[in-house]
Amino acid sequence: MKTVHTHYGFGLAALCVLLTASVPSALTARVTQAPTSAPLDRLPGGRPNLQGLWLKSTGGFQGLFIGSLDGTNLAAGGARGGGRGGRGAAPGGARGPAPTRYEYTPEAEAERMDRLRRGYEDPEARCHLPGVPRALDQPGGLYPVQIIQDEKYVALLHEAMHDVRIIPTDNSRHPQNYWTWDGDSRGRWEGDTLVVDVSNFNGRTWLDMAGNFVDQNEHVVERFTLVDADTILYEATITDPTVFTKPVEMRFTLKRVPADQQILEYSCLEGERSLQHYTEDDGGKKVRVK
Amino acid sequence: MNIRVLRLAFCSTLAAGVLATMAHSGASAGAIRGSSKQASFSPARLWDGKTPDFRGIWQVRDTAYVNIEGHPAEKGIAASRSIIVDPPDGRIPYKPDALAQRQENYRNRTTSDPSIKCYQAGVPRATYLPTPLQILQSPGNFAIVYQDNHAFRVFHPDTRPHFDSADWWMGDTRYRWEGDTLVADVAALTDQVWLDQAGNFHSNEIHIIERYRMTGADTIEYVARIEDPIVYSKPWTLRTVLYRIKESGARIIEDECLEDANGVRHHISPTDPKNLLKSDYSRWKTPPQK
Repeated sequence: MKTVHTHYGFGLAALCVLLTASVPSALTARVTQAPTSAPLDRLPGGRPNLQGLWLKSTGGFQGLFIGSLDGTNLAAGGARGGGRGGRGAAPGGARGPAPTRYEYTPEAEAERMDRLRRGYEDPEARCHLPGVPRALDQPGGLYPVQIIQDEKYVALLHEAMHDVRIIPTDNSRHPQNYWTWDGDSRGRWEGDTLVVDVSNFNGRTWLDMAGNFVDQNEHVVERFTLVDADTILYEATITDPTVFTKPVEMRFTLKRVPADQQILEYSCLEGERSLQHYTEDDGGKKVRVK
Repeated sequence: MNIRVLRLAFCSTLAAGVLATMAHSGASAGAIRGSSKQASFSPARLWDGKTPDFRGIWQVRDTAYVNIEGHPAEKGIAASRSIIVDPPDGRIPYKPDALAQRQENYRNRTTSDPSIKCYQAGVPRATYLPTPLQILQSPGNFAIVYQDNHAFRVFHPDTRPHFDSADWWMGDTRYRWEGDTLVADVAALTDQVWLDQAGNFHSNEIHIIERYRMTGADTIEYVARIEDPIVYSKPWTLRTVLYRIKESGARIIEDECLEDANGVRHHISPTDPKNLLKSDYSRWKTPPQK
């Protein structure tokens, strides 16, 4: 039994995706089409209309739920996979996103390798909120995000972990004495791009299931750009001076989900008892669940 | 599908009956009077010039979450009257066996309330929790984000049937506008949630018609008509009022609720600095920033 994530959430949500007859492969195939030159849909006030139901279209399943952002496919025994284009490859290339590189400080590298061995301690396996950018960086083609927008905010309703981010677009300041799993998001428009500054993280989240991590000094700048009617380009720059020696860049595309499909409910039933049953043979030792 | 259509027809007939009953009942006369007195209120409109604008952060002011049939004061909790307006005695019309179950639930309420396990609260319970909710809206879009356990509901137009091939914690919601009132039909709810902390409950045959109506710039009247042929001898109706939270900068706060292996509910405070110092499963000690 090597599957790391066995909690109900993935099972149920995956089932639900099947029930909605989602067609991620068809979506992925369309990703490489050149953007159309049709004018972007806009809201009153002129901002691009990001609303709709969107699905991360690249990245595939990254090895059946247990892939890593840096391209390591744990399901395939740790082989590198996903995207041979390297950095600078076209976003949304059919081979998947360019591998994201993490350059850790020596201490953080040791911690990361330790966490890689202790993958069962991934907080998301305990139904914790995934943090940013992991909220969006879920396995490709699996969990959509519903965007609702007005002149004051852009709200992201994530199917995965029923995570919610209501992002004010007034360029307001981060609060003090407030630390959360998803951080505090403040947005602004730079031309047609929504730029979101995310801070105030509690430092508990992992970036993926492979032990890549951040601490409370994480700071993320996200950029959402409506490329054409059916495509949002998502870019994120992650800095964390106590973990990384240089910023981490990440980008992938979101594709519009056909109108006959809808977001479904994700249920992560907490108190994952199975985690107690992992043994050395499963890649870890019996873990004390607090 | 036929059953669904029949059920809907059955509902509308009953709804007419309920309204007639309420009009003649002393207990609910206040609600009716309140309705007619403020029937002239015309809410602000979204930018389409048509859709009533329900956007904002809202919360009830009573303590019906303890027991929707009413309860005396407890330490730290004010007393509450029944929010059930039909039947006029303010009691849920349980079938005999179901009433016995409710009494059993009540006796075990401190350990058996599903919310202890951090499950999403369900409908209508999420509405009258002592935590705020935020209505997100744009023309053609309507969603409610509940602070409690970051649950959300995306309201879908009733032009398509319910997605009811599974039971959902927050149900499947289809809505339409009747004048300035949003009328939502909620089905496919799980039987794993309660209606309050007192053990009032329903089966997965529960079917709810919710009515959201602004009675002033800062108040929404919420009426839920509930039927469940398994548990109740007849449909019943509750009514409460949501008040706008007007503090500038008010936001939904991230609410991370987790059940540990011993079944104990934890809320992880976003304002407790100790959160930063304690990483769940990691030995990582954040080095000081250079």
